[in-house]
Amino acid sequence: MRRVLVFLAVLVMAPGMMLGPAARDGVSAQAPVKVGVLLPLSGNAGAAGQASKAAIEVGAQVVNEAHPEMPALPLAAGAGLPRLGGARIQLVFADHQGNPSIGQSEALRLITQEHVVALQGAYQSSVTFAATTVAERNEIPWMVGDSSSPKITGRGFKWVFRTTPIGPDFAAAYAGFLADVNKMGHPVKTVAIVNENTEYGTSVGGGIHERMTKDGYQVVAQIPYNANGTDVSAEVLQLKEKNPDVVIFVSYTSDSILYMKTFKTLSYQPKMVIGDDSGFSDPSFVQSVGTIAQGAINRSAWSIGRPGSATYRINEMYKAKTGRDLDDTSGRNMQGFLVLADAVNRAGSTAPEAIRKALAETNLAPRQLMMGYKGVRFDATGQNILASTYITQLVGRDYVTIWPASAAQHALDWPFKGSQQ
Amino acid sequence: MATAAQVLAGGLLVGAVYALFSSGLTLIWGMMNVINFAHGDFVMAGMYIAFLAVAWLHAGPLAFSLLAAALLFGFGTAVYYGLIRRVMRGPTLAQLLSTFGLALLVRYTAFWIFSANFVTLPGSVLGGTVKLGPIFIGIPQLVAGVAALALTLGLHALLTRTALGSQILAVAEDRQAAMLMGINPDRMQALAWGMASAAAGIAGALIATFYYISPTVGESLALIAFVVVAFGGFGSVPGAMVAGLLIGLIEATSAFYIGPVYQDVVVYALFVGVLWVRPQGLMGQRA
Amino acid sequence: MRWRWVLLLAALLLAPLVLRGAFYERTMALVLLAAISACAWNILGGYAGQVSFGHAIFFGAGAYVPLLLYSRWQSAPLLGVPAGVAVSLGIALLIGIPTFRLQGHYFSMATIAVAELLRILVSNWPFLGAAVGLQGPAGGRTVWDLSFRSSVPYYYIFLFVLAVLLAATAWMERSRMGYYLRAIRAGERAARSLGVPVRRYKLYALMLSAAFTAVAGSLYALMIGFIDPDSGLGILVSVQMVIVAALGGAGTLSGPLLGAAILVPLQTEANALFGGGGTGLTYIFYGGIILVLCRFEPGGLLELWRRVLAPRTLRPERSRSAHPA
Repeated sequence: MRRVLVFLAVLVMAPGMMLGPAARDGVSAQAPVKVGVLLPLSGNAGAAGQASKAAIEVGAQVVNEAHPEMPALPLAAGAGLPRLGGARIQLVFADHQGNPSIGQSEALRLITQEHVVALQGAYQSSVTFAATTVAERNEIPWMVGDSSSPKITGRGFKWVFRTTPIGPDFAAAYAGFLADVNKMGHPVKTVAIVNENTEYGTSVGGGIHERMTKDGYQVVAQIPYNANGTDVSAEVLQLKEKNPDVVIFVSYTSDSILYMKTFKTLSYQPKMVIGDDSGFSDPSFVQSVGTIAQGAINRSAWSIGRPGSATYRINEMYKAKTGRDLDDTSGRNMQGFLVLADAVNRAGSTAPEAIRKALAETNLAPRQLMMGYKGVRFDATGQNILASTYITQLVGRDYVTIWPASAAQHALDWPFKGSQQ
Repeated sequence: MATAAQVLAGGLLVGAVYALFSSGLTLIWGMMNVINFAHGDFVMAGMYIAFLAVAWLHAGPLAFSLLAAALLFGFGTAVYYGLIRRVMRGPTLAQLLSTFGLALLVRYTAFWIFSANFVTLPGSVLGGTVKLGPIFIGIPQLVAGVAALALTLGLHALLTRTALGSQILAVAEDRQAAMLMGINPDRMQALAWGMASAAAGIAGALIATFYYISPTVGESLALIAFVVVAFGGFGSVPGAMVAGLLIGLIEATSAFYIGPVYQDVVVYALFVGVLWVRPQGLMGQRA
Repeated sequence: MRWRWVLLLAALLLAPLVLRGAFYERTMALVLLAAISACAWNILGGYAGQVSFGHAIFFGAGAYVPLLLYSRWQSAPLLGVPAGVAVSLGIALLIGIPTFRLQGHYFSMATIAVAELLRILVSNWPFLGAAVGLQGPAGGRTVWDLSFRSSVPYYYIFLFVLAVLLAATAWMERSRMGYYLRAIRAGERAARSLGVPVRRYKLYALMLSAAFTAVAGSLYALMIGFIDPDSGLGILVSVQMVIVAALGGAGTLSGPLLGAAILVPLQTEANALFGGGGTGLTYIFYGGIILVLCRFEPGGLLELWRRVLAPRTLRPERSRSAHPA
C-alpha cells in the first residue's frame, strides 16, 4: 500500500518538477534565447542554404561556448550571453523552399509559436522581401546576412538590418580596383558584363553597369542569359566580337564553369576576367575548371587567414562540421548572426525594441569581425555602411587577396592566363 | 562570316539531338493520341543513368548510352502496361493528367535523390575540341549530334522498312484494322512506348557529355519536344527530324542575334504561332 | 443537400474565432486561397474537361497588374484588380481561339508553352520588375491598401470571394452552360453532332475560369505583398491548382474545397516537420497522388467517398467519358 502511495505521489509531483523551470516567468539565467533562421534548406538553393545553416551553427558555437583563443570577437571568449546571465542562444531553423509565401508563413510561425526574439535570413531576395514584411508588422528585428537586393533596406522599414555589402558596394570595389589596375600601367577601358537573368544577376549586373559608365569606362555589352543554361556559345561569340578588355561575370556555379569551358573551346581569352563571387567562389568551380581559369579575379569578404588567427580557427570549426572550407556567402551569414548576437547581448534583454535599439547602435571595428568589412555601423535604413569586399585572384588552386593594398597577399597577375601557365 | 557558320553548326548539332528524342514523342502521339508530358524527364533519366554508369562502373560513352536505352526501354514499357493502357480507356482528364503526374514523380524523385545541384560527367569521358575550317566544335557535341542523327534515321528505317515497323505503323494508322490483321495492338503500343523512351534515354546519355545534369532539365526539354512535334507534324518521324534541326537552328540564331535570354521565347512563340496557323505541322496527318 | 452548405458556411465563418493564433489564421486563409484558385480552374478543367496546365498565366496576370499599378502610380492595388481580370481575359482569348478548334491535347500543351513564354518575358522586362519582382505597400497607407497585420481580415475577404465563386459555379452547373460543358467533356464530337456550340462554350468556360483565377492572383498579391515571375507564373503554381482540384474531385462543386482543406495544411505540416526534406518530397507526393488518382479513381476523393459510402444510390454516371472512337 505504501509503495502505491509513494508511486502516486511521484507521479503527481514529477510533471510539476519538470514544468517548474519553464514555468518561471520571464527570462531566467538558464532559459535559452531563441533566434529564428529562415533558409532554403531544400530546392534549387538547398545546398547554399545548408552551407549557411552550418555556418550559423558554428557562429552559435562561438557564442555559446568559451573560446578564449578568439579574444577580439565579441562574445567568443565567454560562454553564452554575459549580460543575460550566460544564457545560450538556441537556433530555430525553418525551410522556406525558395517560396516567398512559405517564407512569410514560416516567419509568422517562428514569431508566434516559437517565440523567437529575432530572425535572420533568407538568402533569396524574393523571400527576404516578403518575409521581412511579416517581421516589420510584428515588430521583431530581422538580420539580413546575405540577400543583396538594394531595395530590401530601402523601404523605410525600422526593424530590418543588413550587414552584408550589396550591389553598389561591389560595383564600387570593382571600380576602385580597375582604377588601380589602370594606374599600374595596364590599360583597361572597355568592359562587358555577363549576368544571369534572375534577381541576383540583374540587380548586381545593373549596378556594375551604372557604376562603370559613371566612372568613364565603356560598357561594350551587357549580356543577360538564362541561368543554368546548357550552351553559352552565343554569349561567348558575342564577347569575341565586341572584344572588351574586361569581362565581368555575375553568375552561379554551373554557368561559371560552362563559361570557362566554352572560352577554351572557342579559344577566347580576354585580358581580364572578373567573377562576382557566387559561381567563381564555389569549390566545385576550382575543382572543375581551375586549371583553365588561372588568373580569374573574384571578390570575397572572407579570407581564411594565417594559422592561429580567429578566422583560421573558425574555418577549422566549419570544416570539422561540413568537411569543406567556409565560403564567402555562408561566412557573411555567420557574421550577420554574430552581430545579431552581440546586439542581443548589449540589449541585456529579450524585448524586441531593446534589441532593435542595440542593433541601431552597433559600432564594431574591423578586428572585431570575422569578415573583411571595414566595420559594422548601420545607417537609418538599416544598411551597414562599412560593408566592403576584397578582390582576389585565382593562383594555382586558391584565391589570394590582391586588393586593396592594405590587405593584399599577392600582386596582380596580368593578364588573364586561362589555361596557360 | 565565320561566326555565322559557328552559330549554325552549333544549332544543327543540338537540333539533331532534339530530333532524336522528339521522334519518340511523335510516334506515341501518332499511335495513341497520348501526350507524354514526362518525355523530357525520361531524357533527364537517361542523363543520370549515364552519370551513375560513369561514376560506379567507369563505363564509356557507348556502354552508358546502351545502358540508358535498355533501362528506359524497360521503364517505358512498364509505364505503358502499368499506367497508360488503363488510363487510355478512362476520361480525358485522367489521360492528360497521368503523364503529367508521372513527370512530377520522375522529376522530383531525381530531385530528392540527387538534390538540385547539377552534376557533370568528368571531362575525361569525351572531351576536347576539333577545328573544322574556321569553326570550333566540341567533340562531345559533335559525337552527340552525329549519333543522334544516325539513330533518328535508324528509327525511321526501322519503322518503314521492317516487318515490325510496319506493324507498329499499322496500329498507328488504324487500330481496328490492324487487330483484324492479327496484329496485337497492345504489344505494338507497348513497344512504341519502349522505343520512344529508349530514344529519349539515349538522347539524354549523349547530351550528358556536355550538358548540365540536373533534375529539372526535363521541363524545358519537354517543351522543346512539343514544339518540334507540333512543327514537324504529330505522328511523323521524318517531320520530327526536319523540325528538330530547324528548331536547333532557330534557337542558336536567336540566341546570338537577338539575345540569349530570348531563345526560348522565340521557340515558344513559334509554337503558339504554329498552333494558330498550321496545327498539323509541316508533315503531319491530322489536326 | 442545401443544409450541408449552410453548415459549412457557418463553420467557415466561425473558424477564426475557434482556431486562434496567427499561424493557424494564416494557414486557414491560405486554404481558402488555394480553394478559390482550384475552383476557378475547375470550371474549365473539371466541368468542361479542358485541362490547362498553365493557369498560372491568369493567376500571374491577376497578381502582377495590381502591384504594377501600385509600383508605378502608387494607386491602391485593389483598383488594379479589374484591370488584372481584363488582361487575363485577353490572354485567354489569345490562347483559346486557335486551340479550341483542335483537340483538347493541343490546348493543354499550348497552356504550358504560353505560361513559360510569359514567365520568361516577364523575367526579362524591367517594367514588370524583371526577375526582381514587384512589391506591394509595406504598411498600409489607408485601409483600402488592404495591408493587414493579421490574417483574419484576409480570411473573410477570401471567404466572400469563394462563396461568390461557388454560387456562380453552382448556378452554371444547373444552367444550360453546365449541360453543354458536361456534354463537351463526355465527347466533343458527339456533342457537336447533337448541336452543342462546342467552341463557343469552351471559350465561355475558359473566360469564366480565367477571370476568377485572376482574382485569386490578386488576392494572393494583396496578402503576400510581393510577386515575382516564379511565384506568379511558375509551373508549380499551375500544378498546385490542378492537384488540389483533382484530388478532391474535378468537375464537382465541393471537390476543390476538399482538396484544398487536405493538401494545404498537409503541405505546411510536412514542411514544418521535415524541414530540409521539403520541396522534393512534396512534389513526389503530388506526382504520386496524381498517378494513383488517374489510375484508380479519376473522380477524386469525392468520387471515392460516394462509391464507398453511397453505393446503392442510383445516380447518373458523371465521371466517365464516352469511349474514344
